[in-house]
Amino acid sequence: MSSSDGGDDGSASSGAGSGPVVLGSKPIEDGFSQLRVTDLANGGAANDGDGEAAAAEGSGGREGIAAEVGEVEDGGAASARAGGRSEIEEIGEARVMWRSNSEGEGEAQGSPSSSGYAGERGSSSGGSGIGEEEGEEEDEIEEVRSDAVSDSQAAWMPGKRHVMQDDASISWRKRKKHFFILSHSGKPIYSRYGDEHKLAGFSATLQAIISFVENGGDRVKLVRAGKHQVVFLVKGPIYLVCISCTEEPYESLRGQLELIYGQMILILTKSVNRCFEKNPKFDMTPLLGGTDVVFSSLIHSFSWNPATFLHAYTCLPLGYATRQAAGAVLQDVADSGVLFAILMCKHKVVSLVGAQKASLHPDDMLLLANFVMSSESFRTSENFSPICLPRYNPMAFLYAYVHYLDVETYLMLLTTSSDAFYHLKDCRMRIETVLLKSNVLSEVQRSMLDGGMRVEDLPIDPLPRSGSLLPRLGQGRPVTDSQESLKEAYAGIGGPAGLWHFIYRSIYLDQYVASEFSPPFNTLRQQKRLYRAYQKMYASMHDKGIGAHKTQFRRDEHYVLLCWVTQDFELYAAFDPLADKASAIKTCNRVCQWVKDVENEIFLLGASPFSW
Amino acid sequence: MGCSSSLPDRASGRLGGLNSENGAVNDAKNLRVKLVLLGDSGVGKSCIVLRFVRGQFDPTSKVTIGASFLSQTIALQDSTTVKFEIWDTAGQERYAALAPLYYRGAAVAVVVYDITSPESFQKAQYWVKELQKHGSPDMVMALVGNKADLQENREVTVQDGIDYAEKNGMFFIETSAKTADNINQLFEEIAKRLPRPTPS
Repeated sequence: MSSSDGGDDGSASSGAGSGPVVLGSKPIEDGFSQLRVTDLANGGAANDGDGEAAAAEGSGGREGIAAEVGEVEDGGAASARAGGRSEIEEIGEARVMWRSNSEGEGEAQGSPSSSGYAGERGSSSGGSGIGEEEGEEEDEIEEVRSDAVSDSQAAWMPGKRHVMQDDASISWRKRKKHFFILSHSGKPIYSRYGDEHKLAGFSATLQAIISFVENGGDRVKLVRAGKHQVVFLVKGPIYLVCISCTEEPYESLRGQLELIYGQMILILTKSVNRCFEKNPKFDMTPLLGGTDVVFSSLIHSFSWNPATFLHAYTCLPLGYATRQAAGAVLQDVADSGVLFAILMCKHKVVSLVGAQKASLHPDDMLLLANFVMSSESFRTSENFSPICLPRYNPMAFLYAYVHYLDVETYLMLLTTSSDAFYHLKDCRMRIETVLLKSNVLSEVQRSMLDGGMRVEDLPIDPLPRSGSLLPRLGQGRPVTDSQESLKEAYAGIGGPAGLWHFIYRSIYLDQYVASEFSPPFNTLRQQKRLYRAYQKMYASMHDKGIGAHKTQFRRDEHYVLLCWVTQDFELYAAFDPLADKASAIKTCNRVCQWVKDVENEIFLLGASPFSW
Repeated sequence: MGCSSSLPDRASGRLGGLNSENGAVNDAKNLRVKLVLLGDSGVGKSCIVLRFVRGQFDPTSKVTIGASFLSQTIALQDSTTVKFEIWDTAGQERYAALAPLYYRGAAVAVVVYDITSPESFQKAQYWVKELQKHGSPDMVMALVGNKADLQENREVTVQDGIDYAEKNGMFFIETSAKTADNINQLFEEIAKRLPRPTPS
């Protein structure tokens, strides 16, 4: 692995000498005095800590986490004293790690006199605990890996699997990523794997950890136990916990818990809290009856849908006039008392209109689309259901009229009026007629088949202003000789300069565009790994503790990742691991230019006042 | 999704709200009625509707969200037609509080239970009481024991169903959405019981 870029290390500093960045026209070179280089030495071992290394480098303070950690440390110390088998290790930037000794497993089961956390472990059924789990993981990791491969390569099946498992079963403990929702009294509400009711003991353990820390007037955010991170999120009477050994950053896992909570609010509204005020031991599971599939599909999307960490939505590429036509008819409807009118194809937006000043948060769109797409019932007929948009108003239900116009395209009309069904039905008929007449629906289907931007198509020379992504609309792109020869030079893998993939997020539009996956990202597993890498970059670029970075260049054995953040956009790009840095930078500039050239087709413009 | 009967009926009236006034819009020969299905989750409400409207049966269970809206028109022997506008409600507990939204103003309520589940029969009785309290007084009510094909697992006797229906002035029938047994009969019987408008 090359580390020839090491020389730039010294110049890495966040925000040094950064003037205001002018709209994307400014080439990336200007920003490169601030380039931070994180060339990884090599291989997997180093991988583990690279997030921290990068973070620690930037500046000292991580007050938020450090403060939280203080309390955990106390708790941890208690456990260490009691069980005598955990040790707390404070690592460089003041995160706490809990480690079991290598022989922890045997001992853990044989210490009935332990108290504190350790005691809780002993009492949960099957004697499972975070520490032991890790011990087992060591020899089983191979099996888990192969499991994961088959899981991710086979088509994903919605719904809850492995219902028979509980915390006593080895297969349950070997799962790489668990999500739990529980009540403040320790009652299980949701578990990604296994039957919630069988996990009552385990739930109680989690609750005990949280309340132990809360009793000290603090909050537990993160516990590390070897490879595992346990992330906690407290939302009033609802506790959410993620236990993961996927090496995703804390911020990402916490963001995922926030989305899971949001999904729950979308189904029930925040007024569910009142049930706990009346009866602290309230059992919430019946209220979520039949929604396993909604949560499992959301959790699945954490590994394939960049919207889950970018907090932006993506549009289906469409000719400008086509999208305008769709927008115009939705606007008509919005003027007649509909709060939001949203036309989507799978998870991509065709068009979207809000009444007057109402604006829709991208996270709400993600959760709403996930809810609709994961529930088969919407596909069978017209539907009128109460839903809540957590970012819009977490306390109140809106009413959603949902209708599929074809197998993948669906219309959602949201209103505050519970009596509006027949009006919305009329609106839908009007919209459907217009969409059919103006060929919007057939264009949508064509776009789904054609796909979006491909790195192979990255123009070598800047396109004329009227550039078009869609060949049929731009009368085909002239393929120049130089373009042809260049393609050959790169032997058919990726685009120029070894560009494999990119995501461009427009900050003002709340939208992103991702290139289509092309070789070498052939499998879902590889795609998932890339998204995880982007996600890590996103977290480090947005780390509040160390201030915002402008650029980041990172090389590991899988790829070179380049990230560039300005006031207007964020660009995440993946290159061949042997890619040359200078030409990678040049290519990123070209990607930005390309996005600008075709923005009429890949973005929904006019959805926000800043967009033109 | 290629299903004719639930596709928009462009001629249908423009009545605001979930409730087409009184649930029944009438000229003497063409009736239009609002019908609501209620019952515990998993008893087969959606299957009954899909069997009636599309002649389909899908054994994979799909949980209904909120309420689905479908319509189907049938012709009676006296050459009147009845257009059912059917609200197929979700059986989940969280939607119970929202049920009035769907049954308010309905001319017909079909309360469904599963003959293999006494709990669902209990739940049906809850819905009947709820409708007696809050539904419109002249509502036609039907009690339906579904999954009649599962005779060997039966736990609610036919007599129990009949007795309860009689006591509450309901029409009773056992159906199987799976075999299509009695599905059309159910809706035909309902149609016959509808109050006819006096020709003016």
